[in-house]
Amino acid sequence: MDSLSFNINGGYLEGIVRGFKSGILKRTDYLNLVQCETLDDLKLHLQSTDYGNFLANEPSPLSVSVIDDKLREKLVSEFEYLRNHSVEPLSTFLDYIRYSYMIDNIVLLITGTLHQRHISELIPKCHPLGSFEQMEAIHVASTPAELYNAVLVDTPLAPYFIDCISEHDLDEMNIEIIRNTLYKAYLEDFHSFCKNIGGTTAEAMCEILAFEADRRAFIITINSFGTELSKDDRAKLYPRCGKLFPDGLSQLARADEYEQVRQVAENYGGYRTLFEGAGTNPGDKTLEDKFFEHEVKLNVNAFMQQFHFGVFYAYIKLKEQECRNIVWISECVAQRHRAKIDSYIPIF
Amino acid sequence: MSGKDRFAMFPSRMAQTIMKARLKGAQKGHSLLKKKSDALTIKFRQILKKIIDTKTLMGDAMKEVFVSLAEARFASGDFSQHVIENVSKAQIKIRAKKDNVAGVILTQYVTFNDGTDCFELTGLSRGGQQVTKLKKQSAKTIELLVELASLQTSFIILDEAIKVTNRRVNAIEHVIIPKIERTLTYITSELDEMEREEFFRLKKVQQKKKRDRDAAEKVKERLRKEYKDAIDHPKNILDTEVDSDMLFN
Repeated sequence: MDSLSFNINGGYLEGIVRGFKSGILKRTDYLNLVQCETLDDLKLHLQSTDYGNFLANEPSPLSVSVIDDKLREKLVSEFEYLRNHSVEPLSTFLDYIRYSYMIDNIVLLITGTLHQRHISELIPKCHPLGSFEQMEAIHVASTPAELYNAVLVDTPLAPYFIDCISEHDLDEMNIEIIRNTLYKAYLEDFHSFCKNIGGTTAEAMCEILAFEADRRAFIITINSFGTELSKDDRAKLYPRCGKLFPDGLSQLARADEYEQVRQVAENYGGYRTLFEGAGTNPGDKTLEDKFFEHEVKLNVNAFMQQFHFGVFYAYIKLKEQECRNIVWISECVAQRHRAKIDSYIPIF
Repeated sequence: MSGKDRFAMFPSRMAQTIMKARLKGAQKGHSLLKKKSDALTIKFRQILKKIIDTKTLMGDAMKEVFVSLAEARFASGDFSQHVIENVSKAQIKIRAKKDNVAGVILTQYVTFNDGTDCFELTGLSRGGQQVTKLKKQSAKTIELLVELASLQTSFIILDEAIKVTNRRVNAIEHVIIPKIERTLTYITSELDEMEREEFFRLKKVQQKKKRDRDAAEKVKERLRKEYKDAIDHPKNILDTEVDSDMLFN
């Protein structure tokens, strides 16, 4: 992307996103939130931030799920604004961001149809960012194979199904494996799209997506110890667009326990530090926490450069992390369990 | 309760033996029931103590579970919809077992795992460890809950049983045994009275006989005085002596 001509199409939206970014809660805001005693206190503190009166119309007593819904609503409205004002190629880029939510929604709908739940029950439970036009039409199908043939081929996610899953597999595979296979195809597709755009976007995004791919590989490996997932199946779920491809991934596919995974990470400088600090004792940060922190760091770095699309992706991810943080703090406050209230991931 | 209540029985020796046997039976029954009541009360107190302990444990366990749930949601996003849509049958089920305490049948609930864990791969790509931890803690909490349920049902059953047994013990002690004792005293007193009556009757008959004999003696004396010899030797009509009164002889 040319720095000279970026502002013609993308300048307004980049400005908007940077404005949104400066409204992300700072450490001082988190310190204030952590000291709240009740959820109403929390609401009061949030009013002085960029969130403003988003909880104003809720009847008290507040509950954590209400806060969660409202936070998500705000994020969705901001995203919709950006998407509606964008032109190519930014609009395709923003659509790619949506696909990950679509994958979750589709998996939910597949499980729902498998168990004969009515479509009207399932639609409200889908993530709003991941909605697509064919969602209403899903009730015509009763098996996943029918679902694919009738509905999913028309969605933008169809190519991900083709690459990795056959119609026969859809009925038999565990739903989690379907989800992870789709996500792998999505990640690799997104990576190649960003590479094609080239320039600063490719620099920033490919770094972020490579880390996401490697992180998934590590976590899938660790979580599959002791389950019925075979090593071959596991290897099929590793996205190939990260730094671990191809040696690290083949080593991971052969790993049997946590120590071996650690060994693999030793060979890659950035990941070694992440594994070093992690532990399972209480008081230690878990590996997942370390991964979250690293992801936040990469996303913050994306804002250091101008005239690229990475800022949009980074903003969405950071905002999501902030939502998770606020929900975590609200849960701790609501349950009066303040022991781990500081385990949120600070962003700025 | 009228104090004059007693069994309506005809007072006789056999009735007395029967009543004595009944009294013995009632006293034995009373002591046995009291023993049963004591045993039930001991078990009751034990269960009460266990319920209090388990309830405090439950409170803590529930708090832990909810914290784990929040952690798992933080790490892996909201998987609750996925779980709700995917579930088809219960994985943990309970069976009722019968336990016998001093004749009272108490139910105990025992959990058993039915089927494999179909959510093994939840959180495969993020938050898997927290989800596993949550699953373990929830399973332990369910065990606690089931135990608490067994304890509470036993508590209620035992409570009823103790009330019934105590009622019976009191009934025997304050109603049945006094009634039998009153009946016994009545029979004994009636029997005594009958004996005395018999004795008196005997005495009276003897008196009357004596009086009659005395009266007969007096009449004989008088007649002897009048007829002198004739009384001692009355005429015998079979003798062949001539009778002056007879015309044709």
